[in-house]
Amino acid sequence: MVLPFYYNWRNLRRRRLSVTLTFFLVSVVVFVLAALLSFAAGIRASLAATGSSRNVIILKPGSTAESTSIMLPSEAARIVQAPNIAHGSTGQLLISPELCVQTNIPRRGPVGTPASVAIRGVDDIAYEIHAELKIIDGRRPRQGMMEIIVGKAARERYANLEPSGRLEMGRLANRVFTVVGVFEAGGGAIESEVWAPRTMLEDAFNRRFLSSVVVRLEDPAAARATIDYLNGPAVELDAQLETKYYDELSTKTREIVFLTTVLIGIMAIGAIFAVANTMYAAVDGRKREIAMLRTIGFARSSIMLSFVIESLLISTTACAAGLGASLFINGSRQDFLSDTTWTVLAYELRITPGILLSAFGLATLVGVGGALAPALKASRMRVIEALRKA
Amino acid sequence: MLRFIYLYRNLTRNIPRTFMTCAAVALPIIIYVLSTAVIDGLNQFLDNSAKQLRLVTMHKTSFINPLPAGYRAKIESLDPTKKRITSVCGMRWIGGKIQDFPMPLSTLAVDVDTYPATFPDENLSAEEIAAWNRDRRALVVGAATARQLGWKVGDRVTINPSIPPYSPLEFNVVSTAPLAKDFVTNFFRMDYLEEELKKVSAPEGWTPDGWVSFFFVKCGTHADMDYFRMAIDELFARSPDETKTQDEKSFMTEFITQFFDLPTNLTILAGVTIFVALMAAANTMSMNIRDRLNEIATLKSLGFGPTTIFGLIQFESLALCSIGGFIGAALPYIAFNHTPLRNFTVPLIQALDVRMIVCLESLVIAFAIGVLAAAWPAWTGIRLKVVTALRNLE
Repeated sequence: MVLPFYYNWRNLRRRRLSVTLTFFLVSVVVFVLAALLSFAAGIRASLAATGSSRNVIILKPGSTAESTSIMLPSEAARIVQAPNIAHGSTGQLLISPELCVQTNIPRRGPVGTPASVAIRGVDDIAYEIHAELKIIDGRRPRQGMMEIIVGKAARERYANLEPSGRLEMGRLANRVFTVVGVFEAGGGAIESEVWAPRTMLEDAFNRRFLSSVVVRLEDPAAARATIDYLNGPAVELDAQLETKYYDELSTKTREIVFLTTVLIGIMAIGAIFAVANTMYAAVDGRKREIAMLRTIGFARSSIMLSFVIESLLISTTACAAGLGASLFINGSRQDFLSDTTWTVLAYELRITPGILLSAFGLATLVGVGGALAPALKASRMRVIEALRKA
Repeated sequence: MLRFIYLYRNLTRNIPRTFMTCAAVALPIIIYVLSTAVIDGLNQFLDNSAKQLRLVTMHKTSFINPLPAGYRAKIESLDPTKKRITSVCGMRWIGGKIQDFPMPLSTLAVDVDTYPATFPDENLSAEEIAAWNRDRRALVVGAATARQLGWKVGDRVTINPSIPPYSPLEFNVVSTAPLAKDFVTNFFRMDYLEEELKKVSAPEGWTPDGWVSFFFVKCGTHADMDYFRMAIDELFARSPDETKTQDEKSFMTEFITQFFDLPTNLTILAGVTIFVALMAAANTMSMNIRDRLNEIATLKSLGFGPTTIFGLIQFESLALCSIGGFIGAALPYIAFNHTPLRNFTVPLIQALDVRMIVCLESLVIAFAIGVLAAAWPAWTGIRLKVVTALRNLE
């Protein structure tokens, strides 16, 4: 026979202060877990949404990212020989030469610390290859004009990137580009970028080279052959699927998850002790009651279960509260400077279903872990002695 | 004396509870110590930067735009006496990757002649400087990086630069800079890099060599720093490559805050852990007092005054929290100073130095938690009405 749930509820209300303190403690631990994991989830979501498995990105061998890659136009010219490159609407090969530079733009907000934002110079063909890019406000920049479009994330996070805003760039910081549009790209990393006509950017930054070339594949299944050809002696460049390139950039998030696991592990053990303390007190304070319940026929197991349920009641409601608080930071914009690309990635903190699940897992662990020993003590209690003590 | 015995008995009468409270306080304190140690490490690094009287000159628009190496002579010419600007050292970032090692390195080429004078805080010995001057492939490895990769003085190592020339560069390790404040960065000679760069084919109108990422300008006094910070930018104003000069601390702070804004986020984390420890301690103290209301009433009826009651409760809480705080402070101190964990490198920040002062500070925090946690229970103890408490006796 199981003790009624109502009994647990009434018991919790009897020890209000102690239960409240434990409740707060567990909810704070859950909140920290959710907040720390939301950093990693946000970065991963952003990078995972970037790139297409139909695109191959080509860099200079030895470089670690687009921003450290310097490719001569003569080297890039060899790419046209590669097999399996798709043709565009007007019949030309879908090959997009791109130039990546950075410029410091202040963050929004009162302090306005500068962030190193990626500026990508592209030709018109790039919009056919990066099909995920959609202009949500304004229009594309025209070739030969000092015009730029800005990603949704960049616009939200950095100052003066509103439509018709002006951005000074270039080697002399004296070329004024005008924002003519805003784009989104399914939440991907390129939403943190600013795009400009490539020739104008080459001129402004005095760079006569390319950072990367992106090609669209005719048949994604035959990507291997194209990549092998590009890496081989005929072209001698460093090609990989776009999705793989961005996946490798997200390795940093694994470090965050690792650190979070260690920190939360330590805090969770602390929380287990705190819950156990509360539950021990509950058992000690109810010796006679427990003995009485045993006398009227409740089994040891149902008494044990009752205490575990009571503890779970605290920890899971605390978990819900902690997660509720964490929803306030859900979607808030952060950015970080990658030490591989040397550009900032603006991303949203994300409370994902996975995080909710691990938070509830943690709360259950804390609840059960904290209740186990006290519940065992309660179930092993000697009935006669406990009753006599009164 | 009697009171101490009473205190001791109180702590030992419910051993599981005492143990669990100590643990519940100690574990958050461990996290507190670790996160403050990281902040402390960054601050020490920045304080050192502030002390070194160095200016950093970089390209006005972005650190990715290089400056002509010839700017060095122009900066030096601002002070022919060499008293106010004692040395100027050009620096060029090459990043670097090691085969089969995931983490990117921070490797910089520096002007061979001025590097030892500009960076006395690297604390190179006379022999090490001699080796640096003698060997074109000399490499000074950051202490933590050396530990991580197992590099020792005299080793021959290969680094793949992340920028041109891209081809692997071979070095001889001449020092692992054990006394430097920067444990991560590696330095090698600019003349070696320049020579390798001459072999690289370059786009028309651009030469890969002859550029630097930053200049570090060592000044004589603070007044000189203030003066030249303006004077250097003035010198290159309206030139093809304008500069932005700031003191080293501002320069470094700008970098550090861009990586996740670590200091701010860790301060929040440290604050949260204190809150958790406080909750745990307050919970125990309130339970302790609740269990002993009749005892307190008895003490009162025997004539012990409110000060004694207050003191007893406060001291019990203090004892609990200081034991927990001591364990929480001592564990990371021992682990990161005297066990193999010393070589453990933390992702993002790489090297963790847990200093005694940080541990002592957390001990003080533990005391404060003890005082705060007992505040409400002690207040209840003082206000306790003897008659009501004794009447409720079961």
